[in-house]
Amino acid sequence: MSSLLRGEEMCLAQLFLQSGSAYDCISELGELGLVEFRDLNPSVTAFQRKHVNEIKKCEEMERILVFMYCIITSLAHSLSLSLCLQEQLQRLEVELGEVTRNKEKLQRNLLELTEYTHMLRITRKFVQRTAEVSVSLCNLHPHFFISGLIQRVKIEAFERMLWRVCKGYTILSYAEVEEYLENPDTGEPTKCVVFLISYWGDQIGQKVKKICDCYHCHVYPYPSSNEERNDVVEGLRTRIQDLHTVLNRTEDYLRQVLIKASESVYTWVIQVKKMKAIYYILNLCSFDVTNKCLIAEVWCPVNDIPTLRRRKSGATVPSFVNRIPTSDTPPTLIKTNKFTSGFQNIVDAYGVGSYREVNPAPFTIITFPFLFAVMFGDLGHGVIMAVFAAWMVLCENNRKLKNTRNEIWNTFFEGRYIILMMGLFSIYTGLIYNDCFSKSLNIFGSGWSVKAMGWTKEQWENNRFLTLDPNVTGVFKGPYPLGIDPIWNLASNRLTFLNSYKMKMSVILGIIHMSFGVILSTYNYLKKYNLYLVFLPELLFLLCLFGYLVFMILYKWLAFSAKDSRHAPSILIHFINMFLMQGDGLQPLYPGQTGLQIFLVVIAVLSVPVLLLGKPVYLYWLHNGSHRLGLYRRVRRNSEEELYLMRAHDMEEGSSHSDLSSSGENPTEEFDFADELLHQAIHTIEYCLGCVSNTASYLRLWALSLAHAQLSEVLWAMVMRVGLRMDSTLGVLFLVPVFGLFAVLTVSILLVMEGLSAFLHALRLHWVEFQNKFYGGTGVKFCPFAFSLLPSSFEHDGLL
Amino acid sequence: APGFSSEKQLTFNVDHGYLEGLVRGMKAGILTSTDYHNLAQCDTLEDMKLHLQSTDYGKLLSSSEEDLTVSLVDSKLRANLVTEFSCLRSNALPPLSTFLDYITYSYMIDNVVMLITGALKQRDVAELLPRCHPLGAFDQMAAVGIARTPTELYSAILVDTPLAPFFQDAVSESNLDEMEAEILRNKLYKAYIESFHSFCKNIGGVTADIMCPVLEFEADRRTFIITVNSFGTELSGADKSALYPSCGKLYPEGLRLLAKAEDHEQVKAVANCYPEYKLIFDDPEPGADFKTLEDRFFEQEVKLNMLAFLQQFHFGVFYSYVKLKEQESRNIVWIAECVTQRQKSKIHNYIPIFPGTH
Repeated sequence: MSSLLRGEEMCLAQLFLQSGSAYDCISELGELGLVEFRDLNPSVTAFQRKHVNEIKKCEEMERILVFMYCIITSLAHSLSLSLCLQEQLQRLEVELGEVTRNKEKLQRNLLELTEYTHMLRITRKFVQRTAEVSVSLCNLHPHFFISGLIQRVKIEAFERMLWRVCKGYTILSYAEVEEYLENPDTGEPTKCVVFLISYWGDQIGQKVKKICDCYHCHVYPYPSSNEERNDVVEGLRTRIQDLHTVLNRTEDYLRQVLIKASESVYTWVIQVKKMKAIYYILNLCSFDVTNKCLIAEVWCPVNDIPTLRRRKSGATVPSFVNRIPTSDTPPTLIKTNKFTSGFQNIVDAYGVGSYREVNPAPFTIITFPFLFAVMFGDLGHGVIMAVFAAWMVLCENNRKLKNTRNEIWNTFFEGRYIILMMGLFSIYTGLIYNDCFSKSLNIFGSGWSVKAMGWTKEQWENNRFLTLDPNVTGVFKGPYPLGIDPIWNLASNRLTFLNSYKMKMSVILGIIHMSFGVILSTYNYLKKYNLYLVFLPELLFLLCLFGYLVFMILYKWLAFSAKDSRHAPSILIHFINMFLMQGDGLQPLYPGQTGLQIFLVVIAVLSVPVLLLGKPVYLYWLHNGSHRLGLYRRVRRNSEEELYLMRAHDMEEGSSHSDLSSSGENPTEEFDFADELLHQAIHTIEYCLGCVSNTASYLRLWALSLAHAQLSEVLWAMVMRVGLRMDSTLGVLFLVPVFGLFAVLTVSILLVMEGLSAFLHALRLHWVEFQNKFYGGTGVKFCPFAFSLLPSSFEHDGLL
Repeated sequence: APGFSSEKQLTFNVDHGYLEGLVRGMKAGILTSTDYHNLAQCDTLEDMKLHLQSTDYGKLLSSSEEDLTVSLVDSKLRANLVTEFSCLRSNALPPLSTFLDYITYSYMIDNVVMLITGALKQRDVAELLPRCHPLGAFDQMAAVGIARTPTELYSAILVDTPLAPFFQDAVSESNLDEMEAEILRNKLYKAYIESFHSFCKNIGGVTADIMCPVLEFEADRRTFIITVNSFGTELSGADKSALYPSCGKLYPEGLRLLAKAEDHEQVKAVANCYPEYKLIFDDPEPGADFKTLEDRFFEQEVKLNMLAFLQQFHFGVFYSYVKLKEQESRNIVWIAECVTQRQKSKIHNYIPIFPGTH
């Protein structure tokens, strides 16, 4: 519990690792995940460090694994990949590379042959057609043919250029291939066109060939006679058959190799990731003088040092753990479980707590859902929210829910316990407000009786509004046992009644919340004078002014009943008069009110200069005044010299801490009165003004709860009531879509939108109004070296 | 009119806001002086790869199986730029799409001329194609070698490409040789840069304010380079002035004087009349590193392009980003070249981009 409240106590430890076993030790530490390593060579750039080569090798292996993964997924095969990992991986890569290259070559070959057969088939038609025309020409000139395939999109430009370059000394005929052929470069199926160019003369022939190259045509030799053509076709058919069998064999072989590899792919991936991480850590360590030992400095929770020692001595080569004194501020570690982590995240989002600072998270567990529920108070909506969250909690081990990549869903899922608490508290406040989808529940029977008023029939018929008078005996039989009486749901002055109640309630809650924050600040004060010179005036200021306001509210509630409610005074006027120190014209709430009020205002006003000047003046006196403290300071300086010597010693070892510990200068050494005064002045102004504005800020509790109640009432009146008003039998059918609309709007607007808005305001009340009373939040989070927290580039490739 | 341009600025984000945001984001990934400092300390290409991993290039170099060579680095960087550019181009709406196309035309001109000179040296097209800049790739590219004269080149091959309008002055019946190819390049470039300049001027607003000085500088740079390179050739003054782009700051008086110039001193005398070029032709201070004329022009270009990012709602950022990224690739390749050839003393001769930023 104390660790949740204040964070773990941390210490700086030095690890001496035998260079032979350093790798194993760090791997062990990674499994434990207890320590954060400090960089002992901050001046060395990334590529000049010792284990750069090993890291490069790991990267090489990662690359091979990604390559293998690509092949495996392309075969749509489930896959899974030992030590001496690297050789094995490289062998596999070479093997796979060769086989896939062979396969590609074979496929290309097959494609060419298919194209050739298509061409021969189609050009036969051309020849039959053109034979009659070109007979006469054939005799005059030697007559050449070029034929091949071209992509359909290019044929037009091809034809045009052919015409321009050859000036018409060519005849081009073409026809489309009916089937889609695979494009060897992109692998996409494309439509192709078979063409046949007949031309005269060698020079034009060269040009035609160049143009064909330019348009990436696949040119195949054109058989000159019919017999030759038949021979070629026959030859092609047998070759295609052969290729098919070879291709099948290759694919089988590839599959076998991959199945073998797939058995261990996942373990290989994890091993490589761990290796890489370990070498990164080894790069952070420095060598001792003898070069036989690696020295690492780690931050470690004090409680875990025994665990660390036990694990270390368990290794085959002994290594040592030393606690070393330090003046650096340690990182903050607050151990959480799945329930508290969500609330801790809310606090950390504002700022990670300074080391050993009081942690607001344990209180947030209750106050956050409560303040949320004050704004969201509706039994029905609370039940829906709680049920949804409970479902997420019950299914939290479901892998499908856990591992989605949907960010919005992940946000909800991470906050399932917060949502559950918010839902449960909303049920509670819903009961208090007696609101369930804007309707009231009459569980215990209303405390009001209409009968006792004794209205006549005439009165019933002539008046639209009738007033129940609690002073008439029998009308008001006592308060409703839980929350607001359901009769208020019918009253026309319901809003006025609830507004006054909710407004006062939010002020009371706000001042309790803020006072609690101020009281929590006592945990953060290490010196006693802070208690008297900061905490006390702060608390007095808050309680004398606003605490008294709360007192007045409660007093008025208790002191005035229905009988004398006409004479009940306005608290606002009394409160203003308290500051103006007048109020003779008004009837006092209780005897001796004026005297007490003047006393309280005087105390509040006096606490301001104490808060402003007390601490700086006391520190100034401490610094310059007493002789006795001079002695104390000399003692301090001695210890400081020790620290300095230690640092110098570290520097000799080649580990400069200068940039890490520059912030750790002693404050007593450089006391600046002006600085301190300015700082305290800012704090005082902020605090005093803050008390006023923060109290007003808590009125958002009232405003949002009002907005929520009104929105749900409007929804009921505009949607559900329309459906319920239809009194024919058709009305039943009509109710179905109306209820659908009502349900959708309830969830989307009232639950999601209103919920988010109330969440945001609850967050603000915690971050600004509550935490600024005590929480600094300037710490650094403890990031242990743990394999379980490793980020992985493989995840982006979808491997894990 | 300022009213018109401010209205354009109002609606700029409707069509081009996303891409401008994107390109500004990508600009934030341009290597800083700290990155260059670290790269210059590397001993092997592997070290450079390790360092580039921590920049926006990420796994660009580590995802290949082949051994790392300078040319591989170069082609990877180039491919990276092309990926980024094609992403911008495919999301662009007019007139930004036309503007982006204009950027590619200069690469197309270079590719055409390279293919012609390659064909003259009897090189195989398949060998030449991979060396073409992928930003200037087009379908008819491989057929360029067929043409014997500029007219044939135009009427048979390039008539369908966007380069066709630039051929107006370049059509001639003289046989294509290396000299002629170079003249063709400069004529095409002149037409291209003038057309780009007037296009930017027509867009108006901030785009014109930013792009015109950049293109004017580009035009003048070409003029100077043509003049310096023409020393010792049989190019006459009139020939030269036909090659000078007429949209620069040198137009018209500077161009007339440069056409007559016959040695470096005369060029310098012309440059002295223009404060922005005087700096470039100034003698280096004693003790400072010697820099070639080309490097000085590059430096100036980088400066101009950096200015483009100071204003919003204009197309200049796209041009500047491509040019800066190209300069960055040149810098990385230079450092890589120095690292592999162990020429540590020259490693710092790269041209820094955004020296002040971190």
